[in-house]
Amino acid sequence: MKIERSGLVQGARDLKTRGYSYLVKITAVDYEKYLEVIYTVRNLSERKDETLEVEIDPADAWVPTVMGEFRAADWYERELFEMFGIQVKGRNVERLLLEKWNGKAAPLRKNFTWNAPYETSDNQ
Amino acid sequence: MTTRINIGPVHPSTHGVLRLVADIDGDTVVNLEPHIGFLHRGVEKLVETRMYMQSPPYMEKLDYVAPMSYDEAYVATVEQAMGVEVKERAMWVRTALLELQRIASHLLWLGTMANDVGQFFTLFMWCFKDRDLVLRLLEEASGARMFYVNMRIGGLIRDLPPGFEDRAREALDYIEKRVKEYEDFLEKNPLFMERMKGVGVMDRDMAISLGVTGPVLRGSGVSYDVRKDIPYYVYDKLNFEAQVRSEGDCFARYKVRMLELRESIKLVRNALSKMPAGDALGMQVRLILPSAKNREVRVSRELPRGECMMYMVADPQRPYRLSIRSPTFINLAALGEISKGCKTADIFAILGSLDVVMGDADR
Repeated sequence: MKIERSGLVQGARDLKTRGYSYLVKITAVDYEKYLEVIYTVRNLSERKDETLEVEIDPADAWVPTVMGEFRAADWYERELFEMFGIQVKGRNVERLLLEKWNGKAAPLRKNFTWNAPYETSDNQ
Repeated sequence: MTTRINIGPVHPSTHGVLRLVADIDGDTVVNLEPHIGFLHRGVEKLVETRMYMQSPPYMEKLDYVAPMSYDEAYVATVEQAMGVEVKERAMWVRTALLELQRIASHLLWLGTMANDVGQFFTLFMWCFKDRDLVLRLLEEASGARMFYVNMRIGGLIRDLPPGFEDRAREALDYIEKRVKEYEDFLEKNPLFMERMKGVGVMDRDMAISLGVTGPVLRGSGVSYDVRKDIPYYVYDKLNFEAQVRSEGDCFARYKVRMLELRESIKLVRNALSKMPAGDALGMQVRLILPSAKNREVRVSRELPRGECMMYMVADPQRPYRLSIRSPTFINLAALGEISKGCKTADIFAILGSLDVVMGDADR
């Protein structure tokens, strides 16, 4: 199900009231012209999955947090930032998920340079 | 006043390289955060640069305790992308091998978890000995003891050798007897029960909102098992039950896995006896034409640690994107929440009951 970025939180809330209370995964795909963020949620009693797909501009890459609806989104959203450089607005992140990762590059974007010099960071 | 203590990353109870930072007040955990990433190898990026059938070895190294399960999940994703049907006999053989892999994985978990709660090394050695029986069977079937790479598009690299069924039955009979002994060994031990019962309680709602999966989810009273609910291969033709316990504590998670061990033994026996004759061989790697029919594929599999969902956007020659929902990652994310308010020593009981493999969490 395609959805606009502005309607994402509302869309997640609607799904949750319909019984889709289990978050399976948040992931993203870089199609170069746009980034697609995919939320997969599940209705455990009916055994059905539903997806929310948000297209965003790579130059203005951010999504609102869905932590209010799904607590399981915590680590997935942090992964979104570290792997795709997608900012998650509306929540605090004190440190990066992966130890020693500097968070400056976005490795799963298609324009990632493989052999660029890399500095580790000491993020407590 | 709280004190911050650091545990790991190299610590015998962290099951690999996991660093835990705990804020404790006296002996009570106020806040706990797992730090992961020591085993991050960028597998999701790597597979984008490889041809489809060059990737299974990477997949196996994600979860080095149950390599075949990951291998199979990946190959099944490629099969769906290419629109290839799996041969009838291959489906039965795969089911039997996957369940054998689950037995091996659960036996290793049992030994290490008993270590974590103070039953030092007796059970660990027993479980390793028994696990080796299963590994020997898997070696017969695939040619390798630990990293098999025996799945091919549409089937397997080779069929089961002659006499496999008899040897498998013999090993399973022995293991079934041993599982009973292990249960007695642990459950008649008041020290073990004290460490497990009522520790790390996660109720049903909490388990759903934290998104945990596999035996951890079923230990909290949610009956969701991919093998039962979205059956793949021949699971719908075999007789087994999804194991559920409602207590949600460490003991419930332990018990779910013990019951699953028995179910898996039953499943392998069943699959071996009902297995039809025929051809189980898959395509040879060099004969595979680059031809992805479906652009987007989602495949769910019940791995020993929980549900793995592979999401692939397929290009003709190689994956454009492969996203792996690894069960350990999300189970570990819940550790901080479950541990709040417990004693410092109980962190390891809870961690042991989550059955983490760090290669799987970091990817």
